[in-house]
Amino acid sequence: MNSEVNVTEKDSDKTIVELKHVEKYYGELHALKDINLQVKKGEVVVLIGPSGSGKSTLCRTINRLESINSGEILIEGKKLPEGGAELAGLRAEIGMVFQSFNLFAHKSILDNVCMGPVDVLHRPKEEVKKEAMELLKRVGVDSQAQKMPAQLSGGQQQRAAIARSLAMHPKVMLFDEPTSALDPEMIQEVLDVMIELANEGMTMIVVTHEMNFARRVADRVVFMADGAIVEENTPEEFFTAPKSERAKEFLESINRH
Amino acid sequence: MNEQRTVRDALYEQPDAGTRKKITLVTVVSLFAIAVFMLYILKLFKDNGQFDEKYWSFFMRLTTWKFIGEGLLGTIEASLLAGVLALLIGFVFMVMRISFYKPLNMAGTALTEFTRGVPTLLFIYFFFLYVPKMGINLPSIWRVSLPVAISASGMVAEVLRSGVNAVPKGQREAALSIGMRETMVFTKIIFPQAIRYVIPALVSDLVIVVKDTTFSYIVNFPDLMQNAKVLISNYDALLSVYLMAAVIYVLINYFLNKVSVTLAKRGGMVPVVGR
Amino acid sequence: MTISELLSQYGEKYIQALLTTWQLTALSFAGALVIGIIITVMRVCPIKPLRIFGDLYVQIFRNIPGASLLIVLVYALPNLNIILSYYQCVLTATTMIPAAFCSEYLMSGIDAIGIGQIEAARSLGMTFGTMMRKVVIPQAVRFSVLPMTNLLIATMLTTSLASQVPLNPKDLTGLVSYINTRDVGGVTSFLISSIMYCGTAVIIGQIGSFIDKKVRIIR
Repeated sequence: MNSEVNVTEKDSDKTIVELKHVEKYYGELHALKDINLQVKKGEVVVLIGPSGSGKSTLCRTINRLESINSGEILIEGKKLPEGGAELAGLRAEIGMVFQSFNLFAHKSILDNVCMGPVDVLHRPKEEVKKEAMELLKRVGVDSQAQKMPAQLSGGQQQRAAIARSLAMHPKVMLFDEPTSALDPEMIQEVLDVMIELANEGMTMIVVTHEMNFARRVADRVVFMADGAIVEENTPEEFFTAPKSERAKEFLESINRH
Repeated sequence: MNEQRTVRDALYEQPDAGTRKKITLVTVVSLFAIAVFMLYILKLFKDNGQFDEKYWSFFMRLTTWKFIGEGLLGTIEASLLAGVLALLIGFVFMVMRISFYKPLNMAGTALTEFTRGVPTLLFIYFFFLYVPKMGINLPSIWRVSLPVAISASGMVAEVLRSGVNAVPKGQREAALSIGMRETMVFTKIIFPQAIRYVIPALVSDLVIVVKDTTFSYIVNFPDLMQNAKVLISNYDALLSVYLMAAVIYVLINYFLNKVSVTLAKRGGMVPVVGR
Repeated sequence: MTISELLSQYGEKYIQALLTTWQLTALSFAGALVIGIIITVMRVCPIKPLRIFGDLYVQIFRNIPGASLLIVLVYALPNLNIILSYYQCVLTATTMIPAAFCSEYLMSGIDAIGIGQIEAARSLGMTFGTMMRKVVIPQAVRFSVLPMTNLLIATMLTTSLASQVPLNPKDLTGLVSYINTRDVGGVTSFLISSIMYCGTAVIIGQIGSFIDKKVRIIR
């Protein structure tokens, strides 16, 4: 791997996403506790932790699918807008891939990919279509372009969903447990697409349980528990010699299986 | 965390400060509009003397409520009888429809579709105007309950059939493989499971039966509506009594729908919307 | 009466009655759609009082018996100095009740879309309007075809309430009761109306499932 080279390239010091003292409550539940996080351009940050640790919530606050109670979220140094056309415009620049794919059920795969550029960015349909086909080819579902989402396997749907996000030329991509709803034999095909993206220098924030993916691709592992960031570390160190007790326990519990 | 949220709540963005202000403003305006609407109705009541004591004071009397209670009992009796009959007739239709014998199957389909496509009132008039002319004199409760039941039977048959279809195929195969005969498989294995699946839907169909029994006044069976009419002639209080009757009906059916939804949720099913 | 006697004496009236039933059904259904959509918009909007109002409307009108509502409209409203013609009373009852069911069906159509797609639309940067136009409404409409077909049939059955007030021309149920109180119409007189009702229901059902097959979303 050429990680040495990449790291120097990635350290272009341009912060894409920054969270400062972010707090979030669901009623009584303190879901996010004083979250501070910086993601630089080209970085791949993997969020891991036990279920209910707040990693998904954290991921979803970055494009404000979840609102926060206090603190600041900055995208390229600008404060995340709270609503209206500004927020919509910003979301158009942040890709999001969901656990349950969430392709639009009434549109073909191709139309799903075209929808963002055509209906949000108002680009000409023909041009977008060509590009969309190329994207579908890149993720390997171009032969399914005319089919409806329900006719595809989970892995194919998720790859199409990634293509849909890519069509918006996002500055950063959020992956919220992208392989958790997939059958085991389909997980790798989705991970392969994500690995390729990472190698191409896409800025990525990934919530996942796939430890091998984290080990191979992540520039940084962020370990969360009970709504707080417990440890930030390089993957090598995190998986071999974690600093915190919680992370040790967590890694032991998954290694037992 | 957001598993319980429905689309209804997700449709709108979690509001920012500006939007929250707007929402508050519109909330106040809409509250005002609703208040004006209510006041207008109250004013209508007042201007037309409908708040006069004579229209409402008899609701304080025990005899009034005893009479309403008797009517309610009539409604419940007629509804239960109609419900049981509808279940029986519907069961027969359903068995016909799923039978492998073609003519029986077609007859079952035709009967189901016929009862579903004809209004209850037509059946009631049939039993009220025509059946007595054939020399058959049914007690008045049967004159309501039987047509109401027939009218509901097609719907019940379809509900039962959907329940039978919902029983996994493996159940039948397992029963056959331990040596059960087809009839036994149906009565011992399939149907008991099917009925469990459809209880919520049957409860919500009961709402339709309760509603249809309001036509009791046509055949002079003393149900809630009929007794309301008697109250009216006694106290000359049209509006208050009819409104009270309507409220009671709404409450009964609301309760039945709630029961249906609760049962459906407990069974992990999608709640049904009747007609 | 034999069928030929019936038809020669009442044939024209049956046609008229069928047209009356159709007219009532069409007007009520159109009204129910409009009110149902308005109520649904109220029920999904973030304004609490409007939501409660919408929910209340649905709970009242899906649970009130048609006869009870009609009686209130015909006999009780004049006491408030609101006097509607018999036809208006029937039409009001046969619109208000299906409107409640219309809203229920639309709500379950919207719910069937799922939160995930809404979040996906939002993540793509769609504004509320675009999301409604491109994602929510097209799907809700498709989900609603079969329920709306059933609603149209149910509305037709509800219009038999017209037989409970003196109307001229009469609807299909009113006509049968009219014939049988004056004459011995026999089973045939009932059958003719039934077949007209059933025939209409079958046609509506066929058209509905045809449209549904065309637009159905593969899940």
